[in-house]
Amino acid sequence: MYKTDVRGKLIDGEKSLSQISQEILAPIDAKTPKWWYIAMGISLAMFAWGAQSLYVTLTQGIGTWGQNSTVAWGWEIINFVWWIGIGHAGTAFSIFLLILRQKWRTAINRAAEAMTVVAVFCAALFPLMHMGRPWLFFYIFPYPNTRGPLWVNFNSPLFWDFMAISAYLLISASFWYFGMVPDFATIRDTTKSKIKKAVYGFFAFGWVGSSREWLRYEGLAFVLGGIAAVLVVSVHSIVSTDFAVSVEPGWHTTLFPPYFVVGAIFSGFAMVLTLVTLMKKLYNMGDFITENHVDAVCRILVFVSLIMGTAYITEIFIAWYSGSEYEMYTFFKNRITGEYAMQFWGMFIFNALLPQLFWSRKVRRNLWVVFVISLFINLGMWFERFNIVVTSLSKNYLPASWAEYHPTWVEIGFFVGTLGMFSAGVLLFFRYIPQIAIAEVKMISKYNTQQTDHLKPGHHDYE
Amino acid sequence: MITNKKYLVGVFDNEHTLVDAFEKALAQGVVIEEVYTPYPIHEILTGMKNKTNITTAAFFYGLFAVIMLIGGMYYAAVVDWPLHFGGKPFNTFPSFIVVTIVATILTITLLTLFTFSVRSKIYPGKKAEIIDIRATDDKFIILLDQDKMGINKPEVTRLFQTNGASEVYEKETATN
Repeated sequence: MYKTDVRGKLIDGEKSLSQISQEILAPIDAKTPKWWYIAMGISLAMFAWGAQSLYVTLTQGIGTWGQNSTVAWGWEIINFVWWIGIGHAGTAFSIFLLILRQKWRTAINRAAEAMTVVAVFCAALFPLMHMGRPWLFFYIFPYPNTRGPLWVNFNSPLFWDFMAISAYLLISASFWYFGMVPDFATIRDTTKSKIKKAVYGFFAFGWVGSSREWLRYEGLAFVLGGIAAVLVVSVHSIVSTDFAVSVEPGWHTTLFPPYFVVGAIFSGFAMVLTLVTLMKKLYNMGDFITENHVDAVCRILVFVSLIMGTAYITEIFIAWYSGSEYEMYTFFKNRITGEYAMQFWGMFIFNALLPQLFWSRKVRRNLWVVFVISLFINLGMWFERFNIVVTSLSKNYLPASWAEYHPTWVEIGFFVGTLGMFSAGVLLFFRYIPQIAIAEVKMISKYNTQQTDHLKPGHHDYE
Repeated sequence: MITNKKYLVGVFDNEHTLVDAFEKALAQGVVIEEVYTPYPIHEILTGMKNKTNITTAAFFYGLFAVIMLIGGMYYAAVVDWPLHFGGKPFNTFPSFIVVTIVATILTITLLTLFTFSVRSKIYPGKKAEIIDIRATDDKFIILLDQDKMGINKPEVTRLFQTNGASEVYEKETATN
């Protein structure tokens, strides 16, 4: 029968179960490395700038931002959509790859979920501050109140968005946490430090690994996995609906929901790639996150990048084909050419063309190149959101109200602050939480052979 | 009243020997109190014959959420404070669907997690009742209650040892 080496080994080196625990827990047991303090210092400095910008915004209002009555959505919405997109990888990794029975996901899903939780936190800050008076944000909760006919508008995509993001944050955080409970128990039972025993013991919820616990745990994973899969699609299609339902040239398209969902998975996977490269290099997790894992993520990126390219070209084609002069103007005069052409071409090159390098096995196996490309994809995805938000708003139907948009230092500081918050969160994750799902890796360690028998019918394959 | 319970603990080094011994013990009519493993093992979960209804519970949580959400939105938009939006109907049902889906998923997640916590007796700060501390690391443990294991001690010890147990020892714990 025809056989190929589908994937390499899931774990490099013949490791005993106890070695798996030890090696994954090594960063928690080891002394904090010097670079960690430096990186944390930089992150906190960035965060401090963000806090200062928030202070300015809160005390002086959003007039300190670069928005005007034409471009009412600037960096805040761009960054919001960007962070939410990055936050998509967690669910995509845990749920989609779980459903598709991709065993290689076990080495990466913990990091992807951690990233999701921090990224969604960063994202939530932007619309909150954009409300202008964020201390009244609870007005968006639907509860009977005395403010007159102020039930929230259940027909508004902005309200849907609020629901979707809150649900997404709570669900991904709990999914992530419950995945960690058995690993916290492993730390509790293997550590020599009394403080760690007490702290991780508290968070381990008294887990002992009995068959009763595992049975319900599996049931829980099944339920959450099944229903959370919907979220991967729903969250970003709702975000895209914020745009698509408004009658703006360049926004008012049916392409938006799938285009946004795919874009979100694209940027999320790129950020995961950035993180796992760091984990491999900084924490010697190379035996668990092997070349084959990186390879698999790169292959997904090539595929998704092609969809992105198709979406970009479809948008342009439809603008021309529709015959609408406003659409034509937006795409041909205000995106491909014009004052925002750099952002358009940045988007196109970094998202649709650059990832095509991943067709080459040599590129996929070169960690540095992979790392750099993953950063460029994230930059490209940021440009994509800029391209959508700013170009459509700056010049729409009425030339009298055309305006340009430039961010102010307050907005830049706000964004840099969330970058600092994200990297600080990721650094804390690296230091205090098992970076790889120990129990899950142990479970797949029995399948640790080159998978060449994928065509053999009925081979033992449960999760 | 505190009584001392006597247990017999069989320790195995890997999944294969554990499952082997577990299945042979069941075939000989041994009553197994509990099995502790570092990761879930299909054969053990089915062999222990414990059932969980957590998935059924989740379905009913979902049903409850859907009814409450659609009912709640209908109440707000039609009964409590109807508003005219350019002649559109008060009951704008199809656009309630998005919120219903998202909030149903949230409700199912939170309630199922709560159920999991209650039924598995897992909660923050609980003191773990550890039988063998290595069970969360690299050992697979079969626990037998000496008073009702349905077989005598030397026989079961031999059964475990011939099937690859690395240790068999006795353990006493104080229980209420």
